[in-house]
Amino acid sequence: MNTATKPVAGMKSVGYLKAEAFLSRAFDRHSTVLLFFVIFGVEIGLGIFVTRDLLNSYGQVQEIYAGSIQGLRRIGELQYDTQEARRSTLYALTTNDGNLQVQYADQSRAADQRVSEGVAQYLTQARLPREIELGKQLANDWEGYLKVRDGVLGLILEGSANEAISLDLSEGVPLFDRVRQDVESIKILFDERASQQLAIVTSASRRSVLQLIVGFMFTLFLGSLATWAFEKNKMHSKMQVAKLQMDFVASISHELRTPITIIICAGDNVRGGFTANRAESEQQGNIIVDQAVQLAGLVDQVLLFASTADKPHYTLRPVQVSDILASAIKNSAMALHKSDFAIEQSIEPGLPRIVGDLSAISLSLQNLIVNAVKYSAGNPRIRLIARIDDPLAERKEVRISVEDHGRGITSSDLPRIFEPFYRSPQVVAAHIRGTGLGLSNAKTLIEAIGGRLSVVSEVGVGSTFTVHLPAEPKDSPTPTPSFAQGPAGS
Amino acid sequence: MRRIHTHYFLLATAFFLLWPPNNFLLVTAGSAVVPLATHQPLAIIVNRSNPIENLSSAELRKIFLGERYRWENGHRVTVTMLDPGFPERESMLRFVYRMTESEYRDHFLKGTYTGDIPVSPKTLSSPETLRKFVFNAPGAIGYLRRSDVDGSVKVVSIDGHFPGDLEYKLLIEGPNE
Repeated sequence: MNTATKPVAGMKSVGYLKAEAFLSRAFDRHSTVLLFFVIFGVEIGLGIFVTRDLLNSYGQVQEIYAGSIQGLRRIGELQYDTQEARRSTLYALTTNDGNLQVQYADQSRAADQRVSEGVAQYLTQARLPREIELGKQLANDWEGYLKVRDGVLGLILEGSANEAISLDLSEGVPLFDRVRQDVESIKILFDERASQQLAIVTSASRRSVLQLIVGFMFTLFLGSLATWAFEKNKMHSKMQVAKLQMDFVASISHELRTPITIIICAGDNVRGGFTANRAESEQQGNIIVDQAVQLAGLVDQVLLFASTADKPHYTLRPVQVSDILASAIKNSAMALHKSDFAIEQSIEPGLPRIVGDLSAISLSLQNLIVNAVKYSAGNPRIRLIARIDDPLAERKEVRISVEDHGRGITSSDLPRIFEPFYRSPQVVAAHIRGTGLGLSNAKTLIEAIGGRLSVVSEVGVGSTFTVHLPAEPKDSPTPTPSFAQGPAGS
Repeated sequence: MRRIHTHYFLLATAFFLLWPPNNFLLVTAGSAVVPLATHQPLAIIVNRSNPIENLSSAELRKIFLGERYRWENGHRVTVTMLDPGFPERESMLRFVYRMTESEYRDHFLKGTYTGDIPVSPKTLSSPETLRKFVFNAPGAIGYLRRSDVDGSVKVVSIDGHFPGDLEYKLLIEGPNE
């Protein structure tokens, strides 16, 4: 059993149909706004992400810069103080004044105190094994030099200048060289670490820029894809409409030409006196009337379609279901009478009234009944069933089904049968006359009053079209006599 | 009558100034006020690395006169003196050198000239500088008021007595600081 509740797509592969349907839905309305909104959203997200990344990189660069400046300043101070400690010691050699010598000794000791504090601070902040090793080495070498320095100072103060110089040259200079090399090694290591950190940050910045470029390219691609899909969908729709319109023109021309030709022939027969008797004249008259009625019906459908092109508005009122069915059957009487069809009615007892418009529902049902007759394939059984969907449901729905046992609808046609002007290729091939507007009009009318139209069909078994209408709520006021209302403005 | 009043006034003033709760030990000499001499101990200090603990009065005198050149640990003896005018120096001249300032100058002038004394004492401008000098020089020896001594230097006993002992004889004669 094939089922369709609304038209979707054409006769192509299922995947393509789904994709096309999705794009059609996505870009059918407000498509440009949606497209730009999506692109804008992606751009904003990307911008936030990249900006955050760049801010992090900037913060890291700031930290590295500040750390580098501070570290270099400390290393510079360390270098200066080591030299100051030695220089002050040697200055004491330049004088015999005990007071000045004590001052120089004080300066040297103050400088060595700063060096010792600097080394201790370096050791507390050292993290890498190489840093710790270098810090300890510097501390040891500095301690060794200070012992020699103390000896040199003592000798200077005691007046043994030659011995002081000798001690300084033999032990002080090599030890101080080691201290200097240690500080230089610390500086080199610091530079290496700073360079490594800078390289990491540079790499992170490059990655951010790359992400930005990729993001923009992705957004551009997405935008292009969406635009392409949107334009393709629009073009496809326009082509479909153009084709349907051409088919409609061809079909309507045929539909108009045939009865007109028959009317002209019958008229000529009567006018030329080719009818032998009154009975033949009456027969020709009936032909003219029948064809004229058919023409009128055709014109009605076209006018109805034209009037529902803009969504029609109806004044909704409670209507008895039995009134609707009676009106529909009455209006379809001619089609039923000619085909010797009989309609079985089945109305569930105690049905509530529906809320809608009698004329619109009746017209829809009339179209469905005419279709059932038209595609009956010689089986004259048509059932009209009215029932309620779920008696216990809070929001009840009345369903009126038109059931036939005709040729049925193929699965490929089901999604399109409600499209205006659409006619199945098999139907056209079978020379079944029609405009392709009946189901479209029926659907438009039902949806205009808040209902919906669904179909279940199987080829060779038959079709059931169901009109779903909202039931009147229980607490509604007393029923009022229903009467037909045409489309607003018609 | 006026002279009698003046004598009473001077007597009352002297009584006030000499009263036991008063810390100012002063005597009057006519209308001028002169501070009395105090007897603070004068500490003999050496470098903390010096193993010497005690010196006899004779050894102390010999060292300060420049007649001993080396310590037991081999370091050269470096005598430090404060500039002239410090009470500490005057006490040292009086009790250790037993010389006047001019005799002291002549002694070292003559000793360095003859070569008997290789190095004259280092003269320093303040007790603090002297203390720092002794701290920096392993063979240095000097003197300070006991109140000027800190942990950076070592105090040596003289004849087995430390400053503050009753038997300690190296005292400063001069105005209180």
